[in-house]
Amino acid sequence: MRFVWENVVGLVIEDSQLAIGIVVTLGITWGLSTLGDKVQDVIGWLLLALLIIVLLGNLVVTARRAKRRLA
Amino acid sequence: MALATAALPSFAASAVEFVEALTIVLAVGVTRGWRAPLIGTLAALVTLAVVIATLGVAIVTIVPEHLLKAIVGALLLLFGLRWLRKAILRFAGIVAIHDEELIYQRELAALHAQGQKRTAFDRIGAIVAYKAVLLEGTEVAFIVIAFGAGGTQALNAAIVGAIAAGIVVTALGIALRAPLTLVPENWLKFGVGAILSAFGVFWFTEGLGFAWPGDALSLVVLLAIFLTVSFIAVRMLRWLLPTGAQVAGRNV
Repeated sequence: MRFVWENVVGLVIEDSQLAIGIVVTLGITWGLSTLGDKVQDVIGWLLLALLIIVLLGNLVVTARRAKRRLA
Repeated sequence: MALATAALPSFAASAVEFVEALTIVLAVGVTRGWRAPLIGTLAALVTLAVVIATLGVAIVTIVPEHLLKAIVGALLLLFGLRWLRKAILRFAGIVAIHDEELIYQRELAALHAQGQKRTAFDRIGAIVAYKAVLLEGTEVAFIVIAFGAGGTQALNAAIVGAIAAGIVVTALGIALRAPLTLVPENWLKFGVGAILSAFGVFWFTEGLGFAWPGDALSLVVLLAIFLTVSFIAVRMLRWLLPTGAQVAGRNV
């Protein structure tokens, strides 16, 4: 069971920064969805935009880290 | 509809996982004999079936539909964006491209180095095959859940797609007795990462009560957005890094 559990965790968490970013984004989206109908109407697109920012941010950080290592 | 949104993507994504499992099982079988890896594979399939049957049934029967969609969506985003990130890094040259032949040769060398007593049961071979099949099988389970979260019809289509992929890959493996290097794994992983992420956004927000315009058709728009962003990200990373710069994937 421990091996299965480690596998499942490994499947979703490879880069902890990205995983934390996604979880925080989901939390923010969930929080905003409780505020009312106006926010509720755009919550899908808002989540999409936030996730793209998180992904691109993570990629830039990773690339810079790689660039520093090469320098 | 279920064929397009569940069966076909499930087939493509599961095929990638089966190819990876096949590479390891083949390497074990070729170097150490077939009895142990086949027992390891069978044991992993039984473990997977037990875990999926107990956890899956418990989750589906206990958790309310909206909450289930949100949970599935969240897991899909964690899983899908992880794939997409790695695919972008591979295409940008920061992580080494996945090479099934290279993995196969490395596995062969490692297994040869382990040595084997001819008389005893090959425990190492069984464990290596067990771990590989369990790991890739868990990913297939995720994929089936992802594409089957839309309801019974979608779930059945996703299961059929995954089983078909398993049969095709296994049959090709038996016929060729070599890793399936012709499968464009890197491209498939790129596409599947984007598909899983699109499904993740769709299910999570549906779980929160958001109604997507055009319902399931909006998945096409979400997928197009993820693919466009990924393409831009690859170009951006290539621009950020010096030409030809490559670092070992495991260090990133």
